[in-house]
Amino acid sequence: MGSLQKVVSKQETSLDPVTFEVLKNGFVNLVDQMAEQMLRTCYSFVIYNRDFSCALCDAEGNTVMQGTHDISVHVGTLHLTAKAVLEDFKGDIHPGDVFLVNDPYRGGTHFCDTRVVLPVFYGGKLIAFMQTNGHWADVGGSNPGSFDVKSRDHFGEGIRIPPVRIYSRGEYLSDVVNLLISNMRVPKERLGDLRSQVEAAKVGQRQLLELIDKYGIDTVLTAFKEVQDYVERLTRKKIESLPEGTWETVDYIDMDPELGDGLIPIRVKMEIKDNEIHYDLSGSHPYISCFLNAGYGAALSGLYAGTKTFFPEVPLNSGFYRVVKATLPENSVVNAPEPVAVTGFCSGAFEKIMNACFEIWSEIMPERAIACSFNLEYLLIGGYDRRDASNNYFMWYDWMAGGHGGRIDRDGANATSPVFGVGLSVQPCEGQERLSPVITTKHEIITDSGGPGKYRGGCGVEKGGVLTEVFGGVMSYCCDRSRSITWGIKGGLPSIPQGAVLHPGTDKEQFLGTIFSNIPMKKGDSFTRPSAGGGGLGDPLERDVETVLEDVIDGYVSIERARKDYGVVIREIDRDVDLYEIDYEATEKEREYIRKHRKDWLRVSPYEVEKMYKNGEIDQLDVIRRYGVIMDYTTNQVLVKSTEQYREAMMKRTLAYWD
Amino acid sequence: MIAAKKRLAIDVGGTFTDIFVFDEETGEIFVTKTSSTPSNPEKGILEGIAKAKISGEEIKVFSHGTTVGTNALIERKLPKTALITTKGFRDVIEIGRGTKEDIWDTYKDKARPYIRRRDRFEVTERTDYRGNILVPVDENEVRELARKLKKRGTESVAVCFINAYVNGENERRVKEILQEELPGVYVCISSEVLPEIFEHERMSTTIINAVLGPIMTTYIHRLEEEMQKRGYKDDILVLHSGGGVMTSSTVPRYAARLASSGIAAGAIASKHIAKLCGYRNAIGLDMGGTSTDISLMYDGDIRITKEWAIEYGYPIGFPSIEILTIGAGGGSLAWIDEGGSLRNGPQSAGASPGPACYGRGGTEPTNSDANLVLGRLSEKLLGGTMELDVAKAEQAVQKIADHFGYSIEEAANAIIEVANANMSDAVRLISVRRGYDPRDFALVAFGGAGPLHGAYLAKELNIPTVIIPPYPGVAAAMGCLLVDVRHDISKTYLRQAEEVTLEELYEEFESMQAEARELLLEEGIPEEQFTLMNFIDLRYQGQWRSLSVPVSQSSSSIEEILELFHKEHEREFAYSDREQKVEIYGLRVTAIGTVPKPEFPKYEPEGTVEDALKGTRKVYFDGEFVTTKIYDRDKIPVETEITGPAIIEQLDTTTVIPPKFSAKVDQYKNIIISVNQS
Repeated sequence: MGSLQKVVSKQETSLDPVTFEVLKNGFVNLVDQMAEQMLRTCYSFVIYNRDFSCALCDAEGNTVMQGTHDISVHVGTLHLTAKAVLEDFKGDIHPGDVFLVNDPYRGGTHFCDTRVVLPVFYGGKLIAFMQTNGHWADVGGSNPGSFDVKSRDHFGEGIRIPPVRIYSRGEYLSDVVNLLISNMRVPKERLGDLRSQVEAAKVGQRQLLELIDKYGIDTVLTAFKEVQDYVERLTRKKIESLPEGTWETVDYIDMDPELGDGLIPIRVKMEIKDNEIHYDLSGSHPYISCFLNAGYGAALSGLYAGTKTFFPEVPLNSGFYRVVKATLPENSVVNAPEPVAVTGFCSGAFEKIMNACFEIWSEIMPERAIACSFNLEYLLIGGYDRRDASNNYFMWYDWMAGGHGGRIDRDGANATSPVFGVGLSVQPCEGQERLSPVITTKHEIITDSGGPGKYRGGCGVEKGGVLTEVFGGVMSYCCDRSRSITWGIKGGLPSIPQGAVLHPGTDKEQFLGTIFSNIPMKKGDSFTRPSAGGGGLGDPLERDVETVLEDVIDGYVSIERARKDYGVVIREIDRDVDLYEIDYEATEKEREYIRKHRKDWLRVSPYEVEKMYKNGEIDQLDVIRRYGVIMDYTTNQVLVKSTEQYREAMMKRTLAYWD
Repeated sequence: MIAAKKRLAIDVGGTFTDIFVFDEETGEIFVTKTSSTPSNPEKGILEGIAKAKISGEEIKVFSHGTTVGTNALIERKLPKTALITTKGFRDVIEIGRGTKEDIWDTYKDKARPYIRRRDRFEVTERTDYRGNILVPVDENEVRELARKLKKRGTESVAVCFINAYVNGENERRVKEILQEELPGVYVCISSEVLPEIFEHERMSTTIINAVLGPIMTTYIHRLEEEMQKRGYKDDILVLHSGGGVMTSSTVPRYAARLASSGIAAGAIASKHIAKLCGYRNAIGLDMGGTSTDISLMYDGDIRITKEWAIEYGYPIGFPSIEILTIGAGGGSLAWIDEGGSLRNGPQSAGASPGPACYGRGGTEPTNSDANLVLGRLSEKLLGGTMELDVAKAEQAVQKIADHFGYSIEEAANAIIEVANANMSDAVRLISVRRGYDPRDFALVAFGGAGPLHGAYLAKELNIPTVIIPPYPGVAAAMGCLLVDVRHDISKTYLRQAEEVTLEELYEEFESMQAEARELLLEEGIPEEQFTLMNFIDLRYQGQWRSLSVPVSQSSSSIEEILELFHKEHEREFAYSDREQKVEIYGLRVTAIGTVPKPEFPKYEPEGTVEDALKGTRKVYFDGEFVTTKIYDRDKIPVETEITGPAIIEQLDTTTVIPPKFSAKVDQYKNIIISVNQS
């Protein structure tokens, strides 16, 4: 690279293209090296399954580069954490210092996302921060896993760590760390995570110092700035080609448990003007009485991640955040103040914001359109494992893949990790069975779970289990979209409601809904829950008939729903050899019949629908897809207000596109 | 009767079939290339043999690397295969871990499973995590299913039950019944293929084994038949991803290891060459037209990984040589993105239209075009049979020059520097990131484009030495000749290290070794040529990834093994913790049946370096065109030193020696470049 220095000196303010590209890629490489180290040495299974992220930030705390495989939910929050450290310790940051932060009210996401921030010095001057952020399996609080769905404030949720020094000028502050980890379950493993993250940050530091040795401090610092400028320029360039205007939509959290019937609106308005994107979430509901609220940083992250999805090739750094701006109303469900509980934001406000962004961007960039995807859910079973005469506390902490929304020219992806982070892996049942007295009884794709459309939503998954030798077992659930059911766009239909079921398939079967905590569980108790499919895109009556047949052969769609959802009449001849027949004439008639009545079905009185459902004339999928009616499946009562809200959205997203 | 004295290696790649013939008696080497014939792979091979003008009787050993398995998987041209799982788990293969490779692009999906949902069946059965059978197999249900499979014309069956890695009894019962009911149908069960924990990874491996089993068996048998007609009576040795060969008798059991048979060959060649030159640490850089494969040897062993797949989401759990492939090659495109940054790859001009200088309609600048503009590539390639169009290359590179206000040479130079930086980043991921210091390594650069870039890459990475083997274009075929028969037997074995005695461990290893011996005997390897090695996978309790540590017969205590683990952890992750409890995760036995390998001859100097001088041309180095000597590699006498700037040309590649670098041709005809680190 002999020629570089020469060119650099020639163009004082700007790097030559080779140095720029080399350093840009070098920064990506550096962050990916930190990630790789973390993945290989972490102790928390959540981190191991890729719920983590890393960043290189500049001396002002701005993100210069985030990792290529970072989980979406951390996007656009890491610079806030670095800035929080700067704010609290300005003038008192020294070589050899390391800081720890998990504060969701200071730009963090939730308590489990614990961040190590390592300041990097060169020639005695602070030049950068290395940041490693991992979801620790537990940070204390009243519930294992630090998920208390019922909490209203954070005091019982887990330990809150504002920026805290854990190494001072190279000296490890064991007393401080002890204070923190003593408030967590299995402190030794947390210490393992901490160590893993500190070492990973050092890997980044080493690599950065090597780049400085090679290219010189001035060049590297210039590159910090120019890489951000580049991302800003790239983003503006892309926006430049789009029309100016304002778009808006609303997505909903199921409910505020204290308020009862009534979806909780999250309103997203977006304006493109002067090559900038401005989001305004004014009009969103005040914060609610359970932990599905989002703090400021987390809500912002939802907007960034939702936007970034439509610009997949743009690297992530603060240059992007200069172009994407947001107004988040105070004291709302999308900007809850301390000490309001926000730990469940990922299942709550966050994914609603992302999907609302998807809907808006699908209008602007129809070639990348995508309908709503299933909702992130976490099921936790804790208790004492009494297998083999032991008595260890166990945590069966499980999340599922599900269906993603239908797309402009193809079906949605089946069984994929949540939009919250498609890099997040689901866990192997065989590993779980070794570690806890819970036997998985099924882990399978659900027939008819994909929202019907010209392009069907991807299929969801069902995972259930039964408890064996357990003592003092309890089950909790962090989920959503049993009422604000995963929706279709451009004429597409919804998928299926989420929510957990106790004792499935027995006469004790009971629907428990999407948020509950500490339900007692004993040996022999069984449970299951579905993840929703994605919403459909386009009019299902326009779906290719042969494609519906292929879906029937593979069991993604049943013969019955092929008729009801798609108006395609299929006869089974010999299932053993996949022999079926399409009745084209009957199909034409069926489609005509549906076309004629479907708008009216969406106006039938909800009480009437409830009656038909209870009489067994129609089933749950009819209630949702044909009538657009929302029910409380714990009581089988219709929810009038929720139905009204849901139907209003369905008129706009679906009915408006039917001829 | 003609004495069999020639060793033949054929590596069938996507575009070319490479032939490498080594005559043991004379030490002569013959290399050639033919076009691959993917629709009928034997054809290209037989053409190659014809081109080499050797008869079957002359061949002593025939080693073979093939892309038959890779192509079948990617194109989904697979036999009708059914999957049978525990009730409730037939979709595990489709759900996988839920992840996809491109996490941001919602329009880039994971590839679809190798077995469609309609061909995935379930039976009622269950085993728990300790291996207790909770629900035995219902025989009638299985027979009923077998009848259905017969009706469907099923050719192959994969069986994978939950927890079968601890106890495969239910799987074995199903296999027995299927073999009774479906004679001639290929059946493989997960507890035999890969008895390791985690249902998706085991199921995926079992499925790949089941879909490739019939294909690979038929293919090898057909090839053997053809070779027999030509007088070659012995087994064909097929290269597998673990860096060894197997014979047709073990193909059915380990077909999944042939999913990418040839890819390991380059790494093996690079290891061999480095060792020949006296290096125990080497990075292999195999740069072709569209991509570059990078491998690493440390202390004489190539790095092995258990995380590999032909397509993302469908892992193959057998240990495989770790290869990092990146989209950088001679044909990679240089382009300017919307933010105004100069990029290189991963898109490639491919074989068609190819680089602009090929004159086949390509107009976008590639690395080859830039190298031509800089004078590093000659206008005449392949011994003069291929002419490059300089004007077209200049036109293409001009686009980059215009954007940045550069001269055309500056633009071409920028393109190459970005390409080199991308490759350096990839090398860093496999070396620095894993705790290896490139300064302790040699870089073995081969493939059509490797020798053009090797010196610069080494400089960028502080690697002191670059080795360019004599036949860089057919190094992979040569690699096929340099391997032993190799099998890896592994199992999951979860125990606390402190609770296990050395005796218990050896007992486990003993039974695995017995299995390995049986395989080698079946392949006709004499017992005195066996080498069996034990490995143990360890991790700190609570960690999720393990590190593999060798256990030798002389290991005297568990503590000694643990000490090795702490050290390895320290090297790879920069820390260790002797206070922390260590957990055993798995055991592996690697069984090697040593096969005699060719000994490449040493040459004596013949002629002078002046005989090799073809002339001079202006080549761009460090900001200016410099008059540079051009040598014909075939004529350079061994033990000659050449100082840069110099260009060394040969049929299948061009080696660049930049100014202030020096090079030496060693007795094996390798070019050894000493990198100028100033």
